[in-house]
Amino acid sequence: MTGETNGVRVNQRAIAGTHVPAVPLVVEHVAKSYEVGGRVVPVIGDLSLTLDSGQIVSIVGPSGCGKTTLLNTFCGLLTPDSGRISWYGQEIAGQPQNVGYMLQKDLLLPWRTALANVMLGLEIRGAAASEAHDRSRAMLDQLGLHGFADHYPSTLSGGMRQRVALARTLVNEPAVLLLDEPFASLDFQNKLLIESDTAKLVRKGGRSLLLITHDIEEAVSLADRVIVLSKRPTQVKAVYEISLGIDRTDMMAARDSRDFSQYVRQIWADLDVVLQ
Amino acid sequence: MTVDVESGMNRTTHVPAKKPIAPAIRRWRRLRSAAIVLATQAALLAVLLGFWDHMTANNKQAAFMFGSPSAIAGFLGQMVRDGSLWRDTYVTGLETLLGFLVGNFVGTVIGLSLWYSRFVSRVVEPFVIALGSIPIIALAPIIIIWFGTGLISKVAMSTLSVVIVALVTSYKGAVGVDTDQINLMRTLGASKFQIFRKLVVPASLTDIFAGLKLTVGFALIGAIVGEFMSSSEGLGHAIFKAGSLYIIPKVFAALVATIALALLLTFVVGRIERLLMPWRRIH
Repeated sequence: MTGETNGVRVNQRAIAGTHVPAVPLVVEHVAKSYEVGGRVVPVIGDLSLTLDSGQIVSIVGPSGCGKTTLLNTFCGLLTPDSGRISWYGQEIAGQPQNVGYMLQKDLLLPWRTALANVMLGLEIRGAAASEAHDRSRAMLDQLGLHGFADHYPSTLSGGMRQRVALARTLVNEPAVLLLDEPFASLDFQNKLLIESDTAKLVRKGGRSLLLITHDIEEAVSLADRVIVLSKRPTQVKAVYEISLGIDRTDMMAARDSRDFSQYVRQIWADLDVVLQ
Repeated sequence: MTVDVESGMNRTTHVPAKKPIAPAIRRWRRLRSAAIVLATQAALLAVLLGFWDHMTANNKQAAFMFGSPSAIAGFLGQMVRDGSLWRDTYVTGLETLLGFLVGNFVGTVIGLSLWYSRFVSRVVEPFVIALGSIPIIALAPIIIIWFGTGLISKVAMSTLSVVIVALVTSYKGAVGVDTDQINLMRTLGASKFQIFRKLVVPASLTDIFAGLKLTVGFALIGAIVGEFMSSSEGLGHAIFKAGSLYIIPKVFAALVATIALALLLTFVVGRIERLLMPWRRIH
């Protein structure tokens, strides 16, 4: 379970993965740097990882290690300097299809009601209005927002707004979700509830989820695999396969399970080494 | 806005529950504070007018130089009776409104479309700044030569006073749209036009309306300056004529009508804003 051996294994699988189109996301040797005031600052050093079908993978790393840059690179908003990013075995230019993207900021449009915000993606892709309407309403209901469909975001609490944002992501039925610290601004109860709902909807729908977080407990309780990143220039420092032996949609049970704190402590130790 | 969006990551912090206040009490409190503000404003105006009236009551020279509230009221009554108040206000109002509408429409359309191309906006920027720095009054002689001395030249003056401001405010609104929000639209598969129509335009409404409120005054200035240069009617004409005849109270009377016109237009813009942006009413 040490990072070194797992890192190597992941790399090997990443290379093998290019021959199997079913693997949603394969990242190989991606590097990315920024130019700040004429100086080139490397953000991502050399990073490889694989997201398997139906899997939840969490990425944790020290603050400022370029996690957001990483996610934006994966979904085609930024172009890597080198390396390959393959979605279902193919390198593509621009945004991958069928990928949902969600940030810590809910990014709800204030002039749209909760329902209209959820409908945004379907509307953009030209779905029939009545179908978009029904699906969005059903998704809001599933996330416990029954009765709030016609509310403007400014009248909703932070937890509810983040649920609307999640509904907006899920209603498009993405095969893969890329979430960047989506629950970081929520209080503990709300966070646990929405994490559980996310786990249920992702696992039930057979979707894959790549979650970027700084919250080690969140990473361990949600994910099948946790990838620990080093500080900049970012590389994979360690990989943990998480097996808690419980129903993986119950976030409280995950925290109560026998090995949970062991994983948390080890990952914390990894991050601590990095912080020195 | 919402309470807990910005709340920390510390797990032990909870969002403190707000003590519920009955809607009736809240409405009463709001009404009361509005009434206090209104009463203070009325008192301030009364003190000002009283002081003015007192200082000019027994001083002929001061009354000649500064007019007096009672004399102004007298002229207003006379202007109402001979119909010139309505006529002049209507003429200036029409010029202002047309200039306001044309200037804002053209300026906003150009300002928003500049969002489309960083290249074009960078190319035109110095030209916009140059045009914006021309004092409108300097253009008046040319405008009279081009458009004559009638309605059109005043509308042109008014339009020119408005258009650059409208352009700059709407462009500022368009480029100020959150990059994360644009990225989100892109990941949802939006085309550039869809991003423009569904995100940039509605997101710019706040700035556009700020520009609209600002340009009410500019449109009015344009129309009045146009009337100063050459006209046979309108509030600017009335002010200019009374001023050159040293009838100070009549100048103030026409000024009162001008202020009323500006307030009316601002009020209408505010109403339209509330109508078009219903999500901002609820908090």
